[in-house]
Amino acid sequence: MLMLILFFVQVGLGLLLALQHNDPTLLAGTLNFNVVRSTHLNLGLIWILSGFIGSILYVGPLLSKRELASPWLIKFLFYAVVAVTLWNVGTQSLAMQGSAGWWAGQPWLQEGLEYIEGGRVFDVIVLIGFAILCYVVLRTFPKVREWNEIHWGLGLGVVALTVVWLFGMFYVPRVDLQEYFRWFVVHYWVEGVWEVIHISLVGILIVLLFKVSVKEVGYAVFWGILLVWLSGLLGNAHHYFWVGTPEFWQFWGSLFSALEPLPMIFCFWHIYLDAHANRKPLENAPAFYFILGSVVLEQVGAGILGFTMTFALTNVWSHGTWVTPAHGHLALFGTFGLLVLGAAYYAVPMLRRGKPGDFDQRLGRLGFWLVFSGIIGLALAFALGGTVQVYISRILGFEWLSGDLMPSMNLYKVLVVSFGFVLTVGAGVIVYDLCTLGRQTERTKATEPAPAQIPARPATGWSRPLTGFEAGTWLMGMWIFGFIVTFNLLSYNLDIVRVHGDPTLPYVLAGIGYPGLFLTTLLFVWRFLASMEARVAEAALSPAPNPAAVGGGGRA
Amino acid sequence: MLGLMMLVFIVLSGFSFLGSRNQVTPDEITFGTHYATDGKKIFQAYNCMDCHTIVGNGAYLGPDLTKKYAALGPAWLAAFLPSANMWPTEFAVQTQLKDKDIAADAGVDTIEAYYEKYPEAKERVQRRGGKPTYMPTLRFRAGEVSQLIAFLKYTSAMNTEGWPPKVMTGSLEHRLELLHGRVAGSAAATPAGSSSAPGAATSAGGGAGGAVERGAQLAQTLGCAACHSTDGKKITGPTWKGIYGSHEKLVGGGTATVDDAYIIESILKPNAKVVEGYPEGTMPPYEGLVTDEQIQDLIAYIKTL
Ligand code: HEC
Ligand code: HEM
Ligand code: HEM
Ligand SMILES: [Fe+2]
Repeated sequence: MLMLILFFVQVGLGLLLALQHNDPTLLAGTLNFNVVRSTHLNLGLIWILSGFIGSILYVGPLLSKRELASPWLIKFLFYAVVAVTLWNVGTQSLAMQGSAGWWAGQPWLQEGLEYIEGGRVFDVIVLIGFAILCYVVLRTFPKVREWNEIHWGLGLGVVALTVVWLFGMFYVPRVDLQEYFRWFVVHYWVEGVWEVIHISLVGILIVLLFKVSVKEVGYAVFWGILLVWLSGLLGNAHHYFWVGTPEFWQFWGSLFSALEPLPMIFCFWHIYLDAHANRKPLENAPAFYFILGSVVLEQVGAGILGFTMTFALTNVWSHGTWVTPAHGHLALFGTFGLLVLGAAYYAVPMLRRGKPGDFDQRLGRLGFWLVFSGIIGLALAFALGGTVQVYISRILGFEWLSGDLMPSMNLYKVLVVSFGFVLTVGAGVIVYDLCTLGRQTERTKATEPAPAQIPARPATGWSRPLTGFEAGTWLMGMWIFGFIVTFNLLSYNLDIVRVHGDPTLPYVLAGIGYPGLFLTTLLFVWRFLASMEARVAEAALSPAPNPAAVGGGGRA
Repeated sequence: MLGLMMLVFIVLSGFSFLGSRNQVTPDEITFGTHYATDGKKIFQAYNCMDCHTIVGNGAYLGPDLTKKYAALGPAWLAAFLPSANMWPTEFAVQTQLKDKDIAADAGVDTIEAYYEKYPEAKERVQRRGGKPTYMPTLRFRAGEVSQLIAFLKYTSAMNTEGWPPKVMTGSLEHRLELLHGRVAGSAAATPAGSSSAPGAATSAGGGAGGAVERGAQLAQTLGCAACHSTDGKKITGPTWKGIYGSHEKLVGGGTATVDDAYIIESILKPNAKVVEGYPEGTMPPYEGLVTDEQIQDLIAYIKTL
């Protein structure tokens, strides 16, 4: 049974590989970009969802101290996901012939709308899949009266996941109404449901990693979810500025979606507190690396970059340019991609060897740094390319690729490929590592005593324990750069840019804001992890038995 | 609290789609005999949205399409869409303007008036006409292009609250200068402008070289090359490679030998005989638009391929 869940996570990662393979062709523009892109989006969503499903099914029984309900259904779900994914990849290429499979007013084969490109056949099968998931999860959980906050988070999460999906399942003839409902799926998924699942999973993983009690994280999970929903519900209006819906949405969208980062700041703060609740060394470093990365990028990619373009006055410029995918990648892969990878790093060793930290963690660390710097670089390249694009296309009104846009944007297009390559290598490392975890440990473990890696010196300087004040300062720094980026987008409204066509101010602000933000982020994560790693050394110095060394025996 | 916000959301949503708002709906818009409601389905079937944005949502490879009908007009779009791999030349746009429905929809019937009304089409023709684009050719079925134009007419009519923002940086020349600098800007604008001017359509024998060179030149300026490859690739129309003297299977049975008479007919009345595998009505009739000398030059050129 447990193997199966593990398989699930692996399928997710296999898809990740496939996803990464797409990107070079994507940019070469050889075979129709739209087909490659829709596959890129769909596989991206599917592997993250598979990761969620795998993680929920893994933690569900632990959380409830019950057996997983109806294992055969999960087995079925697994094959259904594989089949429906293949189906979807196959049908997307029909767009090149312009065949959507119209029948009874619905596109059955492929739908040609960004993010919900799958046709009705796909939609229905996915709906059934979600229904199975709900059934299994709710049956695995105890009676509602005994639910703790994490039960609530995951339970509401899977049900809402299913309900929201329904809004993408009918054809809408009007463009404004179509976009209105399309964002129900896209926005309410990522900024409503997925964030709730994210908070709950981070909560339970923190419980498992740091052995704190569910009660301690429970209230954080509760407030996090409440804030997400309070801000995200009306926050959807930030997608209704220009799609043909009335102007009043600009007010509501700007106001409420500006509050959306609040739960993220809260979550960010909490992971700091939880990680510092005690000073035990990390048993499973990669898992924590990924979870920290996820929470930090949720803050930076979703919270800060989302904030910069969530006001009608900034969004009018960023909308429909490369500024958007900078946020999209950092938020989607950063928050949810890294989380499910973290969950996999926790679950896989547990499933294979029944012990949390008992494996060679070097590859995992390497993989983390590769994907982490890759995704940050990718966002930087998109963001700076987008800044140039806003000027050329919106201020000057030129959209001719080879004649007007490419000469200025080429550098950034090359950078996207370069960082994409780093990310892909990182993904390769992670997939290899996770697939071979159980086996390779036998050989390498003995030769690698964890503390030897880090010189046993008292933690000072870069690796001294992180204080609350210092963490707060880092966070402030990120937000300051975030405001600079916001001013960059606002500055396009000034006459000097808009009428006189002088790009200096926005270019300078973007040139400071984005690199500053991303550098601060990198340094902060480095700093945070250095302080965590230092605990191992500390533990080695102190007379207390070192759990990492004790765990080093390695039993099957 | 959550309930209150849900209520606000629902009330606002209700207001958004009231008829009194006067937002256009696709069932109100037609282009000739084609409906925007059908066009939307074609738009989705070809998944334009994963290369382009529409109301700003979608992919960022090609430009946003929401207001393209208003900016470029139906004749330019009708010239561009079927053979998107090449930017339309002035002659190609003129050919489309001969179509009654298109001229009626554009509200003008001369190219000068058209440029006046759609300055962006003028910019495209003069700077880009005859050059390759980065959009691949999609092989549309009969009628689909007109349906797509109806759809783009609908989105152009939509009230999108001022998005995309109006360009306020002045004349084309000034904007080009801002982008490319003075020298490059003027250099880019002039030669392209003169080469695509359809001098070819008026002066028959002009230019040096024999009939073959003139034919090759004409294939560019008249826009034939947008649809007919010379390397054997099947794009919008049949390739010209090795076509002379070959036998083409026709729609509705029968074959035709490609000789002078067949080529002449195919240029003047392309829909009299349509090659199997190609939708009828894709190629516009050139009757009254090209001279006999020009046709002879083209034939001379085709024979060499
Ligand atoms: C594979 C990607 C792709 C697909 C699919 C695609 N396009 Fe394009 N399209 C482009 C690119 C790229 C350009 C810009 C070409 C350039 O600048 O060289 C473009 C340009 C255009 C233009 C000209 C815009 C201008 O400002 O000059 C129009 C109109 C257009 N496309 C309409 C459509 C429609 C309608 C569809 C769907 C039936 C569609 N395209 C599908 C890639 C695509
Ligand atoms: C983890 C959470 C989030 C994820 C995964 C996410 C993901 C995305 C993605 C993928 C897009 C691109 C949509 C497109 O293709 O057009 C997007 C757009 C956007 N997001 Fe987020 N987002 C998150 C959180 C936020 C938050 C918290 C805010 C606001 C503070 C925000 C504000 C926006 C805005 C303003 C847009 C641009 C819409 C447009 O111009 O079309 N996002 N988001
Ligand atoms: C190798 C790494 C990657 C590269 C090089 C890459 C590149 C790209 C490119 C070029 C686009 C199209 C942008 C456009 O329309 O112009 C895109 C879109 C997108 N990709 Fe990726 N990508 C990578 C990894 C990922 C990952 C890991 C995810 C998430 C799981 C992801 C999610 C998305 C999303 C959501 C969009 C749509 C964004 C939007 O419309 O704003 N990508 N990507
Ligand atoms: Fe959103």
